[in-house]
Amino acid sequence: MSLCKTSLFLLVLGVKFSAPVSAGDANLTASDSAEEPKPAFVSSAAAVGDSPALIKPGAESYFSLNLLSAFPEDLEVSDYCNDLLHIFGQRYVAYVNCLVPAARPVKVCQSCFASYRNLVEIYTNISDQVGPGNVSCRDSLLRSDRLMLVYLLYDNLVEIWETSGCKDCVTAGLQNLTNDMLNFMAALNQSLTCFEKYQQGNHSELCKECKSPYKSLNELYSRMEKNHTLCIDIEDAMNVTRRLWSKNFNCSFPREETVPVIAVSSFMLFLPIIFYLSSFLHSEQKKRKLIHPKRAKSNTSLMNIQDKFS
Amino acid sequence: MANITKKVSWSSRADESGATGEGTPLLNGSEQPRYSRQLSGGGSIFQIGRLSTVDLEEELTSDEDSLRGRPKEIPHNEKLLSLKYESLDYDNSENQLFLEEERRMSYIGFRCLEISRWVVCGLIGFLTGLIACFIDIVVETLAGVKYLVVKENIEKFTEVGGLSISLILWAVLNSAFVMVGAVIVAFFEPIAAGSGIPQIKCYLNGVKIPRVVRLKTLVVKVGGVICSVVGGLAVGKEGPMIHSGAVVAAGVSQGRSTSLKKDFKIFEYFRRDTEKRDFVSAGAAAGVSAAFGAPVGGVLFSLEEGASFWNQMLTWRIFFASMISTFTLNFFLSIYHNNTGDLSNPGLINFGRFESDSVAYNLYEIPLFIAMGAIGGLLGALFNVLNYWLTIFRIRYVHRPCLQVMEAMLVAAVTATVSFAMIYFSNDCQPLGPEHAEEYPLQLFCADGEYNSMATAFFNTPERSVRSLFHNQPGTYNPLTLGMFTLTYFFLACWTYGLTVSAGVFIPSLLIGAAWGRLFGILLASITSSGSIWADPGKYALIGAAAQLGGIVRMTLSLTVIMVEATGNVTYGLPIMLVLMTAKIVGDYFVEGLYDIHIKLQSVPFLHWEAPATSHWLTAREVMSSPVTCFNRIEKVGTIVDVLSNTSTNHNGFPVVVHVAPGDEPAKLCGLILRSQLIVLLKHKVFVELARSRLTQRKLQLKDFRDAYPRFPPIQSIHVSQDERECMMDLTEFMNPTPYTVPQETSLPRVFKLFRALGLRHLVVVDDQNRVVGLVTRKDLARYHLGKHGLEELHLAQT
Repeated sequence: MSLCKTSLFLLVLGVKFSAPVSAGDANLTASDSAEEPKPAFVSSAAAVGDSPALIKPGAESYFSLNLLSAFPEDLEVSDYCNDLLHIFGQRYVAYVNCLVPAARPVKVCQSCFASYRNLVEIYTNISDQVGPGNVSCRDSLLRSDRLMLVYLLYDNLVEIWETSGCKDCVTAGLQNLTNDMLNFMAALNQSLTCFEKYQQGNHSELCKECKSPYKSLNELYSRMEKNHTLCIDIEDAMNVTRRLWSKNFNCSFPREETVPVIAVSSFMLFLPIIFYLSSFLHSEQKKRKLIHPKRAKSNTSLMNIQDKFS
Repeated sequence: MANITKKVSWSSRADESGATGEGTPLLNGSEQPRYSRQLSGGGSIFQIGRLSTVDLEEELTSDEDSLRGRPKEIPHNEKLLSLKYESLDYDNSENQLFLEEERRMSYIGFRCLEISRWVVCGLIGFLTGLIACFIDIVVETLAGVKYLVVKENIEKFTEVGGLSISLILWAVLNSAFVMVGAVIVAFFEPIAAGSGIPQIKCYLNGVKIPRVVRLKTLVVKVGGVICSVVGGLAVGKEGPMIHSGAVVAAGVSQGRSTSLKKDFKIFEYFRRDTEKRDFVSAGAAAGVSAAFGAPVGGVLFSLEEGASFWNQMLTWRIFFASMISTFTLNFFLSIYHNNTGDLSNPGLINFGRFESDSVAYNLYEIPLFIAMGAIGGLLGALFNVLNYWLTIFRIRYVHRPCLQVMEAMLVAAVTATVSFAMIYFSNDCQPLGPEHAEEYPLQLFCADGEYNSMATAFFNTPERSVRSLFHNQPGTYNPLTLGMFTLTYFFLACWTYGLTVSAGVFIPSLLIGAAWGRLFGILLASITSSGSIWADPGKYALIGAAAQLGGIVRMTLSLTVIMVEATGNVTYGLPIMLVLMTAKIVGDYFVEGLYDIHIKLQSVPFLHWEAPATSHWLTAREVMSSPVTCFNRIEKVGTIVDVLSNTSTNHNGFPVVVHVAPGDEPAKLCGLILRSQLIVLLKHKVFVELARSRLTQRKLQLKDFRDAYPRFPPIQSIHVSQDERECMMDLTEFMNPTPYTVPQETSLPRVFKLFRALGLRHLVVVDDQNRVVGLVTRKDLARYHLGKHGLEELHLAQT
């Protein structure tokens, strides 16, 4: 048994030693290779040179300084893909340029859905379409390196789009705003014009006059909330309007019936006191009958114990 | 007359002895009961304590005998033992019938028994899970309807004015639900009141609580708990689940229901106390497991409460029942929530998942946790003391069912009122979150798009409130809200526990603790400048909840595991354990746990783990009852009937004796027979003369005893004619021929250990010649307990 194990161990050792030897790599000592067999394997493959695909990572890291502008022809990104990349860049910039000014107050869905549509289009081209000469840019542009920058950039924007919930406010092909959204905008405008109209004078007048448009706006909003057709534009607009209404114009309900509430509460709190007092006074107290158990007459033993202790 | 002079002289003695200090505490135990017995009605605990140091050598006078004649009446207090509780027969009676049956049983028969034990455990788990599921769904639905109605009403009246009407509506709705719950409990099954954990604890301890595991109790319990939770009381539905599980277990394992008069003719072998107890502990475990989604916690709960009777196979079976119960609940809830097959949502109370960043805790937080444990212990002790006085008051004065129903309704109305007032006067407005953690957000006077933060705590079922306290973002509650909430809820919960409704105390305790724990966390974060990084209020809410619960119920091991399992996070194991330990140590310094207090107040003869310390000098001779009513091996039927019918001495076990020599008194012990056995014998008329005349008479089997179990008919219902009274009965075959005995000199702790470990019901005390001199029963042992002034003795009382 032990003999068998030893021979196995020797065999393993032999294999590990043989790898750098066959690669002819003089830099690597035997102990190095035993601990890190992987680089040894890569370099050995490079020495054999039968697979160009395998050369690349190793070769790049070694010779990047020398070969800055001269990749072999077949590895170069095709012109077609380069063009696509260029267009992607332009549209990307356009979309971001649109987003930033729309950050406050939030209008990212209503003003930027068109440029988002363009961006999606070009990205779909890159990832799905096959160009002239059966060229697919998918591999060369999207996934040929660790960083995958194009994908990363695009993904960030998709995430923004999804977080904002814009897809609930824009029609299916990103062609137009939904009717709900338009309705809401109309209602919002109504309220805002009303606010503007009465803003100067007494706010109580505003509260009275604008109540109906504001109320219908609120109802529309809750309806949309129930149907899950809200996007960030609507939410933000509603938040601002509500804040205007409640904080700036102070149209919330006042706390004005304190007295009746206190009266009813104290009446209720008074009831248990009456209950407990009356049950204390009128209810007969429950008595327990004591039972005397049969016990052994053990005077003698008790005396004994007392003797023991005294 | 003599009595009065005695009293005077004693009180002066008491003062003297008080001056001389503690005196000889060891003696007090034996002396004290006799004196306190002579105190007239109203003799309070205090006087007993004071008198207990009196050292009276001179006399145990004759007037004690004269006093025995008339029954004394005293107000109910905790130092009583009720006569209505009896022991369960955990000790197997190895009589000849039993041996015969065992001989007849084949190997396969025993294997089948083993398998049917597993089947029963599976069924217990399944049914308990179903019940939990039912309770959950009904409570959710009804509470949803109630809160929607009230919410709509409040919204309407916020606009047009008249909020006091909403207040009245809320109070009336609450009262109506609670009334239904209280009526069914008070009028149909009073034993279903409360959480049921004390009762199950007693049952596993070996005390037979009348009607505690009946089907009717289960129905009332389930209905009652639904009503009280929907009625908005400060209660939870978790405690009653444990009771429900136990009832299910007791029912299923018997294969029949005496209430429904239906016998399925299965599991007949399990129809005795020993087997039933094992299943009941499995049922309790299944209940815990369904309530908290904590299978291991359930097993440990059974272990903690019934650990003196335990073995490895039983543990494994109990674990099986627990798992099945969680699984069943999970499965059916997943169907209800329309995602069939999702089994990752265990437990009635779901603490939710704690995300990884809020989970983290650091070494320097451990002292903080321990401090919180101490606070929990203090608050728990306060809770228990208040509840103790309240319960005494209730037992003494609020004992009529209609009064109890009224009280429950009042509590419900006041709970609604207080909640409403808190919400009404709260200025804490928080913006509505996108995820809508709040089920029923109330806006009231808050700005549009905001909700009243107090309402999330009060205007919600308690379980949801706990969850929102654990998980809502920091800043959801402001400190004032939490402080007010803690204060009011503390008193509400304390007031509610002990009402005549079935409801548990777990959730209210968790809620109180979570509220002040969160407050603690917020304050901590505001004190330390960089605090907001580590002082996550949700984490402190959890620790506070554990501390408060530990301070109130004083469970240790099982509670730790339950909390860990309910949060689904082992990381918190250490802090929760430390917190519970601290809470128990601090709390025990002041007063016992809530369940123990209630067991005491029910006058249950409960045997703790150990005999009271400083009781080694007491011997079996002082402890035992004597003289003992014995039967001869061949006894006249008339004698037996007379003894059994004697209502003043309601004995249950009778030593069987033989007279070796005529006039030999007391006689030699040769066995022990139970009342239930005698009744079955009388019912089947197993008389010597009849056996001779009717040779064909079927021989009595163990099955006949099992069929009568557990409701043996009273002796009055058995008709014995004048002729039959003259017959003789041979008890040899039916008695337990080898009862446990101890010599007279055995010390109390030794007797206690034997009794507790073996689950005995009767222990015969014999002299050196094996002659019966006395009988020790549970009540004889349970009456000794260690009070503040040394060993004290409890009184037996008729309740």
